[in-house]
Amino acid sequence: MNNFVRFVKRSIVATLLILPQFTFAAKVDAPAPEFSLLNTEGQEVALSDYRGKYVILEWTNHLCPYVQKHYSGGNMQGLQKKYTEQDVVWLSIISSAPGKQGYVDAAKAASLTAERGAAPSNVLFDPEGNVGKSYNAKTTPHMYVIDPEGMLRYAGAIDSIKSANPADIPKATNFLEQSITQLLAGQAVSDKMTVPYGCTIKYKG
Amino acid sequence: MSRLLISFVFVLCSFVVESDTWATGPHIRVDLLSENQNFTASGENWLGVYLQPEAQWHTYWINPGDSGEAPQVKLTAFINGQLDEKGLVQFGKIHWPLPERIPVAHLVNFGYSQANLLMLPVSISDALEPSDKVRIQAELSWLVCKEDCIPGWATLTVERDVAEQQFASIDAPLFQKSRQQWPEDELLTAQYELTEQHIILSIPTQVEKLQNSLFLFPERSDLMKHNAAQQRVKVEGASSFVLEKSEYFSAPDEPVRILVSDGERGYWLNAKINTVPLHSNANMSLLLMVIFAFAGGLILNLMPCVLPVLAIKGMSLTQQQYGKAVHFAYLLGVIVSFLLFAGFILAMKQAGQNIGWGFHMQEPWVIMFLCLLFTYIILMLLDVAPGTEALMGVGQNLTSKNQFQQHFITGVLAVLVASPCTAPFMGVAMGAAMVSPPGHTLLIFFSLAVGFALPMTLLQVSPALIRFLPKPGAWMDTFRQFLVFPMLGTLIWLLWIFASQAGIQAQLVLSAGLVLFALTFWAKTKKIQALYIVCGLLSGGLFWFAQSEPEASETQDIATESTWSEQRLTQLRNDNRVVLVNMTADWCITCKVNEQVAFNNDSVQQLLKQPEVHYLVGDWTNKNNEILQYLNRYQRVGVPLYVLYAGSDYKKVLPQILTPQILTSAIKEAQEAL
Repeated sequence: MNNFVRFVKRSIVATLLILPQFTFAAKVDAPAPEFSLLNTEGQEVALSDYRGKYVILEWTNHLCPYVQKHYSGGNMQGLQKKYTEQDVVWLSIISSAPGKQGYVDAAKAASLTAERGAAPSNVLFDPEGNVGKSYNAKTTPHMYVIDPEGMLRYAGAIDSIKSANPADIPKATNFLEQSITQLLAGQAVSDKMTVPYGCTIKYKG
Repeated sequence: MSRLLISFVFVLCSFVVESDTWATGPHIRVDLLSENQNFTASGENWLGVYLQPEAQWHTYWINPGDSGEAPQVKLTAFINGQLDEKGLVQFGKIHWPLPERIPVAHLVNFGYSQANLLMLPVSISDALEPSDKVRIQAELSWLVCKEDCIPGWATLTVERDVAEQQFASIDAPLFQKSRQQWPEDELLTAQYELTEQHIILSIPTQVEKLQNSLFLFPERSDLMKHNAAQQRVKVEGASSFVLEKSEYFSAPDEPVRILVSDGERGYWLNAKINTVPLHSNANMSLLLMVIFAFAGGLILNLMPCVLPVLAIKGMSLTQQQYGKAVHFAYLLGVIVSFLLFAGFILAMKQAGQNIGWGFHMQEPWVIMFLCLLFTYIILMLLDVAPGTEALMGVGQNLTSKNQFQQHFITGVLAVLVASPCTAPFMGVAMGAAMVSPPGHTLLIFFSLAVGFALPMTLLQVSPALIRFLPKPGAWMDTFRQFLVFPMLGTLIWLLWIFASQAGIQAQLVLSAGLVLFALTFWAKTKKIQALYIVCGLLSGGLFWFAQSEPEASETQDIATESTWSEQRLTQLRNDNRVVLVNMTADWCITCKVNEQVAFNNDSVQQLLKQPEVHYLVGDWTNKNNEILQYLNRYQRVGVPLYVLYAGSDYKKVLPQILTPQILTSAIKEAQEAL
């Protein structure tokens, strides 16, 4: 019975997501658009499952040099470990369409996570690109922070230096870290929205 | 260890093969070029970073758009092998050729799908000798993309001798070609306004020289949505663009730079926010404004409203001698009055009121007071009312202190009578004063005061000048009577303004009140006690009546069907009509764009012509308290504001950017709600 309710709820959510794609466009300090996507295990994961916890969304594409910038030296993995240990949920989302750069199947995604020593709570697949578009996700990486009440609190770049050069990471202000630290300390986020940088998300079409 | 790993990966993903002056990465070759075979101190030296992506691959412009990254160039100079620590070689900024719009799925990038030469000017100090060798090292980074993106890095160098004369290098034609792809040299000034979701940019007419299909490239990536349509609207021959605000938009505190291009030619626009109704004066220098104000003050002495008062004053000077301090009492009176004026305006601005010069002329009760004042002066000139002596400062038993007071008061009075004349006459400088910082406003008013008081003060200070004035005599009475006529002229003008504000009936009441007011003084001089009291009471009653007369019942007579007023709106709503209110102003670009696009549309016009639909326009070109209150009710401080009503219950605020569809469906919806 419970499962049925859950199924109905998700179907409604899914329909709502598909119909007016852009009316749900993400806004900081407004409710984060709801979504439900499959993870590497083939299970459905919904944003609402994590109500009560901080959620970080990371748009990713393992072949993008800007993503590699943050994975090659362990910057992204470090952040994933640091925050998942503090009971923050980390969802890595792949919106690359089948046949385009960064698109991977579940097995490949799982092996990438293992190889790179990544530690997200889940890797989610958005091959239709609807969730990416509802969040206005443009680049990989593109980062979002959602608070326990489901409000979007940060959207934008991972850090302040727009380059593909890993040597810039220590010099940059990490906006994600800054936002999460401020939120966990009960403060307002000082840079709520920044211009993201990186590769275009390889959306369908 | 991790550092090592980073550098390893870094090298791996760039795969750059390089010589001194060129490098190749995947899908791209990059060269560092010099236009000439040598550098000269006298001429222009240009370096160029020549990016040559493979077919279908592209590199980026200064603002890469929704994703991507602009190439970075860091230059260092060495002279005869030594680092140039003294800065003998200086580098300018990159001159970007006109970019293209490169769509990627639903996003848009700005860049170059062809080989492109990014040119940088190099200036060489004349401290360098012709035998010196200048080596320039360029640390470059770039991103080359098709749909996938590959970053690259290289350090290239170019070495040239310093020479007296320039000789073109073999790459010079590339530089020539790149120059043709530059935007025009002229930096144009544009204006923009912000609404909740849009930027409305009005572009200068020079841009009309370009071909029809224009595209705007913002220099900042957080200004406008790069992938959104750019709607162009022509209003009175000039173009405006309606642009969607970037989701990362935060109001810039300085002008924004936007490149407008037709693909072949382009202009850089320096776009400033249009908050100021007086765009043409906003740039006037402070000095110029001060000079204008001073000159305006001088000329003000000759205005019909002021001249009579000052003429009497001037005549009295020939008969009197005063102490030193008294000489400056008039000047002081003028300055204090003008600064009080300025102080009041600043206080109102501080309180958030957007008032302009001449604001006092928009209040009917101020006009009424001025009418009374001028009537009194007329009576005084005709010897019907007392006061000439006081004005001239020739009363009996005036002590020196009293004289000081009298002159001071004359100064105040002069400013008062001058005030209706300043509004139309001093528009330019005063308008600028209104939008200047407080210090400037005070300075402009001070300068106006000094200019205004100068002729009279000079006369007082210098007995030599007084000698030029005609000798006192019987002609003075005749002249004084003649002065009644300019005063009457001023009075007519004031009554005319009053009529346009409060209606012709109120004007009639006021005029009758003024006649009785005059009669009161006449009765007093003729010692007809009863008439004096009756007229006094009656005129008082009439003034009260003229001032409290509800405006709307009058304005209806002269206003056209479409002029907005609070009463008209309430009345139409009570009559169960559909009412579309348009709050606009002449200086508002957004308003003009909407009027052009939406209101002028045929189907909208048809709907507005229906008998049950009423279209009311409120003009906020000049500040108007009634409109301000209305705007505030909708949490607005400015125009445009569009509100649609149906009867007394239905009300809907429309977006600040309108389309014919929005308007027609909103009107139809309102009609259904009736």
